[in-house]
Amino acid sequence: MATAEMMGVPRRQARAPFYFQSAAHLIRIGREKASNLGELLEALKVCPDESIFQHTFQTLREHHFIREGFSNDFAHWAFAACNEVGLAERLAGIDVREFMSIAALRQRLVDIVESYLQQNPRARDRAALEPFYFSASEVIVIPTPFVARDLAEFSDGVRHVSLTSIHFHFIDARLRLKLDTNDFSLWLEHELDLGRLADRINRIDIYTSTLHDVRRAILRFVQSALG
Amino acid sequence: MSDGKRTQDSMIGNGPVGVGSVVSVPAAPGVERRQRPRPKISSTPPAPPPAPRLDDYAPIIGQPELDDLRFLAQQLRGKTVKMVNSTAVGGGVAEILNRLVPLMNELEVVTKWEVITGGNDFFEVTKGFHNALHGGEYAVTQAVKDIFLSYTEQNRQRMEFSEDVFVMHDPQPAALIRSKRSDRGRWVWRCHIDLSNPNPEVWGFLRPFVDQYDAAVFSSPAFSRQLACPQYLFYPCIDPLSEKNKDLEESMVQKVCDDFGIDRSRPVVTQISRFDRLKDPVGVIQAYKLARKYVDCQLVLAGGGATDDPEGAAVLQEVMEEADDDPDIIILNLPAWSAIEINALQRASTLIIQKSLKEGFGLTVTEGLWKGKPVIAGAVGGIPTQVIHKLTGVLVHSVEGCAYQIRYLLTHPDYAAQLGRNGREHVKENFLMTTSVKRWLLLLQILLGTTKPHPPEEGQH
Repeated sequence: MATAEMMGVPRRQARAPFYFQSAAHLIRIGREKASNLGELLEALKVCPDESIFQHTFQTLREHHFIREGFSNDFAHWAFAACNEVGLAERLAGIDVREFMSIAALRQRLVDIVESYLQQNPRARDRAALEPFYFSASEVIVIPTPFVARDLAEFSDGVRHVSLTSIHFHFIDARLRLKLDTNDFSLWLEHELDLGRLADRINRIDIYTSTLHDVRRAILRFVQSALG
Repeated sequence: MSDGKRTQDSMIGNGPVGVGSVVSVPAAPGVERRQRPRPKISSTPPAPPPAPRLDDYAPIIGQPELDDLRFLAQQLRGKTVKMVNSTAVGGGVAEILNRLVPLMNELEVVTKWEVITGGNDFFEVTKGFHNALHGGEYAVTQAVKDIFLSYTEQNRQRMEFSEDVFVMHDPQPAALIRSKRSDRGRWVWRCHIDLSNPNPEVWGFLRPFVDQYDAAVFSSPAFSRQLACPQYLFYPCIDPLSEKNKDLEESMVQKVCDDFGIDRSRPVVTQISRFDRLKDPVGVIQAYKLARKYVDCQLVLAGGGATDDPEGAAVLQEVMEEADDDPDIIILNLPAWSAIEINALQRASTLIIQKSLKEGFGLTVTEGLWKGKPVIAGAVGGIPTQVIHKLTGVLVHSVEGCAYQIRYLLTHPDYAAQLGRNGREHVKENFLMTTSVKRWLLLLQILLGTTKPHPPEEGQH
């Protein structure tokens, strides 16, 4: 890590504090349902944004403890209910952190399913073992008592907030920020001038780590910056 | 009993038949059968322990989660809720309300629980409705309608409806919606049963009432119907501090195993469920026999329902016949108040099986997962929501598949342990009582307009 960036880090005060927040989610049962891949494709085009969010971003939080083999509900259904391994693999390859809007994520999902069905037309109407039920996440943002004005307080907050809070700031944040970063990295870079630390944190792989691992990795990087 | 005839007479127990009785299979003539110790379960239900306080959950879910609950409740302080169901004791709904209502009140969301009253004729009708909503046959005659509506009317006269939110559990109190006023109160129908394939006549009668609600809550998207109101998903949940799920001292686990003659130095494979064909206990024994060709283990089949249910007794008989004198098959017909014993059996198990052929949600699966056990379960009903194949457990579709998974998991303990760890986390995240409290607080907030849901692409930083 660059020495100049790290000089005086322990005492450096942020220009604006970081307010840790959390979120609570209520699942609304959607109207869309798919019994085969053709129906999935049609539903993907018209379901509410909250459904795309639920089955991609939110499901990652609900299954945060799985280190490998779980990416999003669509991939899981394509594999477990439709036995379409090739499609499942392509859907599972979607990294939600590459998307700064639901519209772009929806389009990627549609493109993948559409192209798969063009190559495998018989898969379109083949009945799935279980239907896919679309649902939608209703989110309420919750404040926490943790506020960071410097890196030590940031470390304390990361250590004590819930995993939902980590998910909210680290994964969901892209949709709010419309940037290829997360709340933590943005604050570290803009308020504490810690661009390299911000970048290191932003590159933690959420698909090979649990949220516990993410928390541990952030703390490890921050501790190393604090010396 | 040494004539090899397998009947319920061969039960060994310390009380009336079925009260903590070990159903044991007599040996064939000339074969010495190992004597199992007698279990020591009270013949009467023990007094319920005091309900836990919110802070008691902190070591399990963590302080931040409790802080979230308190924050959500703050905005509802002073609001009042009435929960209504049809029975104060017995049954899953009463069990849930017994825990949910005190926690809501501790959070200062004043929550009352009232039970509707009715004669035998009313409960016969609602039992018929219940079975028909699961797909059974039932004729909704004028007499049936009159009975249902007249008791509804009596309950409406008896009850007051002055709260901010009314939650009706299941079909029995559903028609109390007639007391809905346009100027006050939001109404929620909490349906705990599977409505995926209802009898059209019964659903046709109930639906006009349901359509008047402001929201409906189901346990699975697959159980829901298209309704006029928004529908929400509340998974069934377990209480980690209940007798059936709380942590137990190792000495207690050992004592229960000693009482039932279970050898803990060898693997223990357990299915906990009623003696009911839909739980496929015979299939479990067949899977065990196939697996036993390659791996050593004992099989414990523990449940109830064989004493008060003629079909249960018949299934128990089939189970005993299939067990065929195997001294390593331990069949336990337990009374309903054996929560601690069930808890200990689950904790003593190497693997938990729930090889159901049809299932609602399958809370015994949740219980097994919560205890960090690798679970092998039938891919039916709500089980795949809990058991994500090869991630939080394994799903099977046949006796052979079940046998293979027993062999595989017993010979790959690291993989089995990882499944168990993931399973426990899955329950912690999604199927605990505290998560259910959070869902109720969120729903109340949305219904009462104390907060607005937050679109995922908007927010403050």
